[in-house]
Formats: sequence, structure tokens, C-alpha cells
Amino acid sequence: MSSLDERRARFQQYKRDVKERGKPFYPYAMFHDTVMSLVVVCVIVALACIWRYTDILGALTGPAADPGTRTFVPRPDWYFYFLFYLLRIFKWPESVILATVGIPTILLIILFALPFVDTRMERRLSRRPVAVVAAILVVISMGVLTYKGATAKEAIASEVEAAVPSWAKKQGFQHNPEALAGAKLFAESACTNCHTYLGTGSSNLGAPDLSAEGAKGKGIAFQIAHLKCPSCVNSGSPMPSFAALGEDNLKRLATFLEASKGGK
Amino acid sequence: MASKSDRRQHLERAATYPIDWLEERSGLIGGLRYFLFRKVPGDTNWFHTLGSATLTAFLVQLATGVILAMYYKPDPNSAHASIEHITHDVTLGWLVRGMHKWGASVFIILLFLHMGRVFLFGAYKYPRELNWIVGVLLLATALFEGLTGYLLPWDQTSYWATVVAININGTAPFVGPFLASLLRGGAEIGPDTLARFYSLHMLLVPGALIGLITLHLYLVVRLGVTSPPWSDEAAGEGPPEPTKPARAGLVRPRARTAVRGRPTE
Repeated sequence: MSSLDERRARFQQYKRDVKERGKPFYPYAMFHDTVMSLVVVCVIVALACIWRYTDILGALTGPAADPGTRTFVPRPDWYFYFLFYLLRIFKWPESVILATVGIPTILLIILFALPFVDTRMERRLSRRPVAVVAAILVVISMGVLTYKGATAKEAIASEVEAAVPSWAKKQGFQHNPEALAGAKLFAESACTNCHTYLGTGSSNLGAPDLSAEGAKGKGIAFQIAHLKCPSCVNSGSPMPSFAALGEDNLKRLATFLEASKGGK
Repeated sequence: MASKSDRRQHLERAATYPIDWLEERSGLIGGLRYFLFRKVPGDTNWFHTLGSATLTAFLVQLATGVILAMYYKPDPNSAHASIEHITHDVTLGWLVRGMHKWGASVFIILLFLHMGRVFLFGAYKYPRELNWIVGVLLLATALFEGLTGYLLPWDQTSYWATVVAININGTAPFVGPFLASLLRGGAEIGPDTLARFYSLHMLLVPGALIGLITLHLYLVVRLGVTSPPWSDEAAGEGPPEPTKPARAGLVRPRARTAVRGRPTE
């Protein structure tokens, strides 16, 4: 720990050194800055052109937002992928708050605290092993989480629908038309983009597996209320409302969920 | 001959008059001169351009954003159509929107690279702690700018991503539900949400970014640029003696003084 006096002396020395032997910002450093800025603008224009004239960077425009839709993919911009993927690791509802609020808050606090924790004057990397290891770990973990988030697969509705008859068989609701209709709705409504059901779907955002939802004995009325406003029933749930499906469809979905006892 | 130099003098006086006028009344010219001719360490290099590169990316966002705001309609019934119109009909609209869309990613990448450079160079240390904090605030504000901008195209991906993002915000203890309804502007995502995000995205958040960037630059100029941590080695005088601390100064340590010879810690 360098004393404050020592740090002050060192900074005074720095100021003297710069005054005596430094170079003026213009034109020397400014030359580098100008070249780099031109590169940045060129890269941005190039990206816009690649986006316009090829398919590499995705479509120019997507389908218009439809709040009453049945299929959707809740995918954030790439720099939130790490968080998006983190939600898969922490299971809802016990620990998901750690991923949504806890980890970002802790990261922010660490960043704010950094200059007050690391008060040594030492700046050479060979003498800062902890800083180097921390930097490498952060880069690797952010890289892996971003990559995982980018390659996370959403279930394709047609594939999910194909699995409905096998669900009915395993859960034994083949002869319950209400539950069968619910299962079809479940497959169409992008539920499997976040939930898993008998091995189908992907557990995004920490959403739970629903194969044995009916075994919990919550009842159809609860299921309907939950689908209408998830966070009203389960405070803190990030699941969107499905009220737009309408009362009849919600009843079918609820019947299907209640008929899901875990399968054989 | 005499008349020629007379004319020259007149010209010079005419050219410098507005500059002198401005300087006398504002001191801005002196400030600009100080900014341009201030000394920086002799061994600043390409790594030191990441900060100004980030600023350039931000300026691109400002310029393209102003143009987009002339055509964009923040209303759920026409937002998506206005984006289609900008992309397909407006002259070079695709370029402006493309630059804004991809410039945002470039801006965020450069922010992280600049932050990494500052971390590895140890440039957040005394007396630059406050500037590091301003930088972290800039990062958080920039991410929020990205979040609010993501909804504006009003397509399926952006709409549902925002639904989930706001719901996640709502899970925060104590302030969560309040924050979520503040962002939504009601119980559901609708016209009020879009207008709210638009206002945040083009007024409040960019304003905060401009203010923070100004403070950031002021502190950079006031405290000076950190030289690379390998300054000592770059001097070509062989590796530093193990008892000596890293020099806070410059490349050519010809006049080593006793002050710098003190051991670390």
C-alpha cells in the first residue's frame, strides 16, 4: 500500500516529466487519434453496407410487433447475451434473482470499488498477477457466456407440434380433447422457447420444466390466473402475460398443464 | 513593396480580429490552444486512441440519430412502417439506419476495449479514480441507451425482448416493480411505453452521456494521459532494478532522481 504522500510525490514527478520531455498533443497524439477515428467511421459504414447488400448480418427489417402473437423469441441485443445465458444457469424461482439483479449489481459494485481496492502505484503487468488473472477470467467468462447466448437454440414450432401425440401418450391424456387442444396451443405459443416439456424446448431465462406441472396440484383456476399475469401470482416472474390468447384458449392450456403429471 | 506588406498586415489583422475578439470575451481560444498543445507522455501509442475512437463512434450515433428522428414515428401503429420507409424508400435511409444500428455495437465494443486498456495500463489509479468511476457510469448509461433503442424498430424480436427485459427489471427487490411500471408507463407495454423509450433514448440518456463524456474529457485533460506501464523498458536502459517502482513518467529516464528510486509498497 503506497502512502498518499508517496502517491502525490509520484504524480508531481509525472507532471514534471511530461512537462520536460512530453510531446504536444497536436500534432503527434492527435494524428493517431484522427487515423483511428477514420478507421472507426469506415468500419461502421462497411458494416451498414454488408448489412444492406448481404445476408450475413441478418434481415433489414423483421415482422412488426404483435402483442397478441403466439410465436416469439425473446432475444436481446448481443451485448446482453451474457445475462440472457446466465438466466439459464440459475433456475427460476429460487435463484433467478441472483442472475437478473444480483450478478449485474455485484459487477457494477466491483467496477466502482476497483480504484479504492487496488491502491498500489504498481502498473507493470508482470507485477500485478491478480489483476492479470482477473482480467483473463472476465474475458473468458464473458466470451463463453456471450457465445453460448448467441448459439442458444429456440425450439421450432413445427418440431414441437410433431411431439404433441407422444406427449399425450406419455402423460395419458389422449382421450381428453381439451388437454389435447391445450397441448397444441402450448406447442404453437412459443412456450418451449423458455420452458422444457418432456425433453423438448430450451430452458431460457431460468424458466422451469413443465413435464410434471400438474403433479403440483395447483388447479386449473390458478393456471389460468398465472397465464394471464404471471408476476401477479408469482411475484418476480419475468414471464410475459398470455391474456391475449383469450379465456377459452387459456382454459385449454390450463387443462393441458394440469394433465401433465410427469409422464412415463 | 511597402504597399504589399501593408496589405498583408491588413489581411492578417482582418483574419485574426474575430479570433482575438472571441478570445477577449470568452477565453475559449486560449482553452483550445491549451487542449491542443498540452504535453502528453512521449510514448503514447495506438492503445491510447481507443478513447477518442469511442467518442467518434458516439458522434456517429448522434449524427445518424438526429437524421433518423426526422423520419421515425414513435407510435405503435406507424413505428414499424416508418422504419420500413426509412430502410427502403428514403434516399440513403438504409445507410443512416445501418450506421446507427451497427454503430451502436461498435460503440459498445470500443467502450469495453477502452475499459480493458485502462485496466491493463493501471490508468485508474491515483489520481484518476474519479475518472474511472465516470467511465463505469458511461458504460452503464450506454448499455441503457442500447436497451431503450432496441424497442424502437417495434418488430417481434425487439418487442418481446423488451417485455422480458422490463419483467426482469421488475424482479429487483424493493424498487423493481416501481421501475418496471415507470419504464412501461402503465400496466402493459403499449403506446406509452414506446413514446417513453423514444424520449429516454433521444433526450435523457444521450444528454446524460454528453454530460458524462464532457466530465470524462475534462478530467483527462486536467490529470494528463497515463504513459504505458512498460515505459521503463521502452527507455532501452535495460530492465529496471527490482527495488525500483514503476515510473509514473516518460520514456527517456535520463535524469533519474532519488524520488523515483524508492522501493514499492
